[in-house]
Amino acid sequence: MEKEYKISVTSSTKNLHKIRNFIEETALNSGISREKTDEIILAVDEACTNIIKYTYKYEEKHKISIKIKNKDNKLIVEIIYRGKGFDPNKVKSPDMKEYFNNYKVGGLGIPLMRKFVNKIEYNFIKPNLNKLILVKQI
Amino acid sequence: MEEFNITETSTGKVKILHLEGFLDAHTSAILENEINKIFDKQEYSIVVNFNKLTYISSAGLGVFMAFIERARQNGGDIKLCEMNNKIFNIFDMLGFPLLFEIYKTQEEAVEKFMNPKQ
Repeated sequence: MEKEYKISVTSSTKNLHKIRNFIEETALNSGISREKTDEIILAVDEACTNIIKYTYKYEEKHKISIKIKNKDNKLIVEIIYRGKGFDPNKVKSPDMKEYFNNYKVGGLGIPLMRKFVNKIEYNFIKPNLNKLILVKQI
Repeated sequence: MEEFNITETSTGKVKILHLEGFLDAHTSAILENEINKIFDKQEYSIVVNFNKLTYISSAGLGVFMAFIERARQNGGDIKLCEMNNKIFNIFDMLGFPLLFEIYKTQEEAVEKFMNPKQ
């Protein structure tokens, strides 16, 4: 897959399955292993869930665009969205011992993203326009 | 459209939730409602069978975190079982086995409720 593939969906959690299917199809078709495909699917799901939850507060009218390409043995997924962006790199992963001792809920999406992709890059393109890039070595 | 379903069965006082399909930020509310309904009946001993679950994201993990403390405070527990390797790996890499009992078979999980000392 040298070509770039793209999908746009509205910001509803009911579209998460569409996003996962898109990533699955494009990654598998380009010869990426089932295991690595599953890992990138989860990372993209977590990233989009965070955007729907924190940027859009579950409002379903916004658009999220996702591009995927395979370049230099890297799978690169770009997630482009408008509104208030946030950089997952600025969020600290919880201390899981303390997390479980205090029966905490939430905040596990970014730690999972970190485990399943090699690099997370947040770009502020212009006011109100954000790009989140997930890079996975394949 | 991908789906998520729950089938409920019982063995004695233990409720068994059989999950099927995809548990994500969209479908996790279905599981929350199901556990709430069980708690509403003052029943707190739950086994969750992952045998037919194909996918889980952190929203799904969050459901178990949201209910485990209340289950234990009321003398019950939420025990997990029959996960495939992919799903177990997600629980494991975040350290969930520190807090949750995860069994290979449903029989073992149910048995732990019946004979907790074994």
